[in-house]
Amino acid sequence: MASRITTSSTAEYFAKNLQQVGFSSPLKAVLTTLKESIDNSLDACEEAGIAPELTVSVTKIGKGSGRNTDLIEIMVEDNGPGLEAGDLAKVFGEYLASSKFGRGQCSRGQQGIGISAATTWAQLTNAAGVEVISKTKKMRKAIKAQIDVDIKGNKGIVKTKDTIDWKDKEHGVRVSFKIDGRVQLNGDGGILTYLQGTTLVNPHLTLNYKLLEQDWVNIERVSDFVPKVPAPTLPHPHTMKLGEFMTHAGLFGKITLDNFLKKGFSRVTDLTIKEMTKHGLPKKYLKSQLTTIKETEYKSIYQAIQETDLSNPTTKSVLTVGEEGLAKSIQRIGEVDFFSVLTRKPKICDHKPVVVEVAIARFLDRKDADDAAQLLRFANRVPLQFDKAACAITKAIESVNWRSYGLTQPKGSIPLGPYVFAVAVTSPFIKFKNASKETIDASDELVEEIRRAAMQAGQKLSRHIKAEARAADLERKIQHIEKFAPILVHGLAQITNAPKKREKAAEDGLKKILGRDTDQAESKLKEAESRLKVLKAKQKDKFGDVGASDEVADDASDVVQEAEVVKVAPAKKATKKAAKKKVAKATKKAAGRATKKVAAKKATKKTAAKKATKKTAAEKVTKKTAKKTTAKKTAKKTTKKKTKRRR
Amino acid sequence: MAKQKMIRVRKLTKNIPKMAMDVCDKMLSDLEHARRPVVEAVKCSLDNSFYDAKTGYLTPGEKKVRSELNVSSVQKLARTVFMLNILLKNMKVGSVNTKRELYYIAKGFMKSDAFYKPLDFEDQPESDSVIEFICDMLEVYREELNCFAGDRGGQTYSQNLVVTETLSDGTNAVVDLSTLGTTPFQPKNKPQQFKLKKKGKLDFCVVMESEGTANTLVANGMTKRHNCIVIGAGGVPSNGVRGWCKTIQEQLKVPMYFYGDLDAYTMQNIYRTLKAGSAASLVRNSDFSAPQVRFLGVLPEDVKEYDLLCYPVGEKDAAEARSLKKAKDVLANDPFFKDKKNKDLAAILKWLVKEKKRCEQQSVFSVDPSNPRFMEEFIVKKIKKGSYV
Repeated sequence: MASRITTSSTAEYFAKNLQQVGFSSPLKAVLTTLKESIDNSLDACEEAGIAPELTVSVTKIGKGSGRNTDLIEIMVEDNGPGLEAGDLAKVFGEYLASSKFGRGQCSRGQQGIGISAATTWAQLTNAAGVEVISKTKKMRKAIKAQIDVDIKGNKGIVKTKDTIDWKDKEHGVRVSFKIDGRVQLNGDGGILTYLQGTTLVNPHLTLNYKLLEQDWVNIERVSDFVPKVPAPTLPHPHTMKLGEFMTHAGLFGKITLDNFLKKGFSRVTDLTIKEMTKHGLPKKYLKSQLTTIKETEYKSIYQAIQETDLSNPTTKSVLTVGEEGLAKSIQRIGEVDFFSVLTRKPKICDHKPVVVEVAIARFLDRKDADDAAQLLRFANRVPLQFDKAACAITKAIESVNWRSYGLTQPKGSIPLGPYVFAVAVTSPFIKFKNASKETIDASDELVEEIRRAAMQAGQKLSRHIKAEARAADLERKIQHIEKFAPILVHGLAQITNAPKKREKAAEDGLKKILGRDTDQAESKLKEAESRLKVLKAKQKDKFGDVGASDEVADDASDVVQEAEVVKVAPAKKATKKAAKKKVAKATKKAAGRATKKVAAKKATKKTAAKKATKKTAAEKVTKKTAKKTTAKKTAKKTTKKKTKRRR
Repeated sequence: MAKQKMIRVRKLTKNIPKMAMDVCDKMLSDLEHARRPVVEAVKCSLDNSFYDAKTGYLTPGEKKVRSELNVSSVQKLARTVFMLNILLKNMKVGSVNTKRELYYIAKGFMKSDAFYKPLDFEDQPESDSVIEFICDMLEVYREELNCFAGDRGGQTYSQNLVVTETLSDGTNAVVDLSTLGTTPFQPKNKPQQFKLKKKGKLDFCVVMESEGTANTLVANGMTKRHNCIVIGAGGVPSNGVRGWCKTIQEQLKVPMYFYGDLDAYTMQNIYRTLKAGSAASLVRNSDFSAPQVRFLGVLPEDVKEYDLLCYPVGEKDAAEARSLKKAKDVLANDPFFKDKKNKDLAAILKWLVKEKKRCEQQSVFSVDPSNPRFMEEFIVKKIKKGSYV
């Protein structure tokens, strides 16, 4: 009787289990297709050292074949090096065909599954794979082809092939998928959120996009620096399992064990081999050829290596977005009030090099103080948009006590307010929870590392929030003087039957006392503001024309570059000015004639300060036309105050 | 209109209006000279509480709460002076108000007059704390400022008690509790004005934590069969209940027992407050506590003897964990339970912490459901046997 056991191709497996790679619903299908296309484009550009310029469109072109679905066309065009004609079928139609698989690099794509899965989805829902136009520098004309997946044989099939003129395009690739799907623009799983996130962590990206009926949007790059993905390093013996160790040995053929250990791994030297022998590695194997070592002997060798203490793997293989890039890029996703960015030094978590970067920003165009802040998660510069709860990043952010930095936070949750928390984890070996790479496994070490980064960024952010709180405190104190002082004095006078003269004297005395308090508060506020100014100037030297910023290194010796807090818009200045004005009024009243001279001095100082503010406002108007209205308001207020003073 | 005759809670040698006037005059004078006025009040908290078994109630220590005028305290002081003014006017004409009435009176002024609007209270606790601060500042009882509490708790039943009440016009009202049937006598909020007389023999007085259980005992005929007084405390005993128990104890010299749940909350917040007063009202505990009252149950030995149904108290549940934490805190910080004389009461708390369980007072009803008088028999048996702490 013939065996009933059959084998299936990789393509067959994925065609039946597309939900495992991000195609679990029509909504996710659109996002995943877009994501895979953009990831491929960005990786290709970076590898070729080209600053990426992408054009993206998502269009509803009809009714989908399935129930409650639309036929969606997703088009992504890049200016990358282009693909050779012979590679098209492999790249778009064959699973696990990748230039990056297992190389241990911080590239976005890793296994070579995503884009083939997108082709499969297009094929399954619309009976046609992907349409690709590709042109390399060498080609005079571009190739236009339709690639399908041969599901039985896990091979790409070129269905149609043609050459076309692709004018004005020196090189690049354009992919176009027509798939069944539904489009969600906003929210955690929305396309806009994805594009925002991609923009944030890719400062060197110029992005043009058109979503459904909306107009074209153009986001220019803020950095010309194209990050070079660091070359992969040799594997560390402690990151391998026995089977992997043996397979790795198989690649080296006829060399001796000690040579294999030194050439095949990082952090292994003659000295460490000596240590290994102390931990049970039989010396007789060291000069044996790998081919002569038996499987059981490999086990004892492997065990001895695991027992030996080795230096941590190198952190040279990790790549960062960088604080400067983040600082510039964050302003592309909305009207930022102020923000803080931080890049940690690479660390070893679970024997793997990891670098964590955090950007926290408060946005002026988001007014919902009671809504949870938006958390953007990134793994190797790819936004993660689903399964938020189980992710290491979410767990780390929730475990921080943000209240101590002046934010509102329900216990054990993400803080509230118009903030965006962007956390990027970069590592050549990110441990995802699933094949669709939506959640980073929450190991204790990684969560702790992210938590530390978040706390450091929070500390920097709190300076601004505290300065605001001081301004509010001053305002409150002034209100207290105006509200309660007369009632207190009047009550005391009523109980003691005091004459009007006594009541008046007490009122003046009270204002003097409380005036002193507000003076103190005002000087604290001024002190905070001047500290902020000094630090902003320092950071301006560091980051050029990103904007003024504050914060100096005070506690974070392990931070590569100090966190950056940039005050972008002068929205809160109006409140502070109003408060100062009230203080001047109250102090003047309280001090009476005797303190007139002091008041005059203060007025002189304030005039200088206001002039400075005006100058700053004028500069900002020139720099940012978008903030014209705010600047005008500030200027108007200054004029008003001047007029008042003249009167 | 003639000034009403005031009921005295104690023999007071202080001239409250003069004291208030002096405090205000000093404050005004300080302000005139641009000095910061300072007012001091007794610190009413557990860390300033002392207990001596001979005295029998919690007394205040030396600590004071010092309020110096500054931007943060100006609102509190303005409210204090405002409320003091109302109270002094009340005392002048002999008007009496409850705390809630004072809250609404003050709110009326604040809402209708723009000048006072900034003082407006959001809720009654804000107004109550101002009144309490005035009491602690002048070291007087709230009742001496003509402010009396509501009538909560203290429903009393007996066949052997006659209460004579002196009314504000000077006449007397006599109430024989045996004529009220199952209707309780409500001791009001000025129990010190009562003259009590035994009608025949009185063997004991039992204060039940639950008013409902007190009523059930009477409905089942307990006061008919025993020469006793049954009082329902209604949870944490109000000033009225505490003053009433003190009056019974002093005038009738009858043994008094408390019966409630076996848990840390009942031990500290209810029984200790009844017996030794509360840390929040240290100034007034001498007249608002009944130091001779004994803890009749539920005792750990009752749980064992009658196999009473208990609740396990776990550390995972927030409310239960709080209960356990409270027991530990009480043992560590409450001077009443730290006193050697009360080591048997502390032992009950230790038992609660160790066993991690609690027992409701009503669990006794489940011991013999066929006998409606079981609770009554249980209480009487315990008193006779001396099974109390």
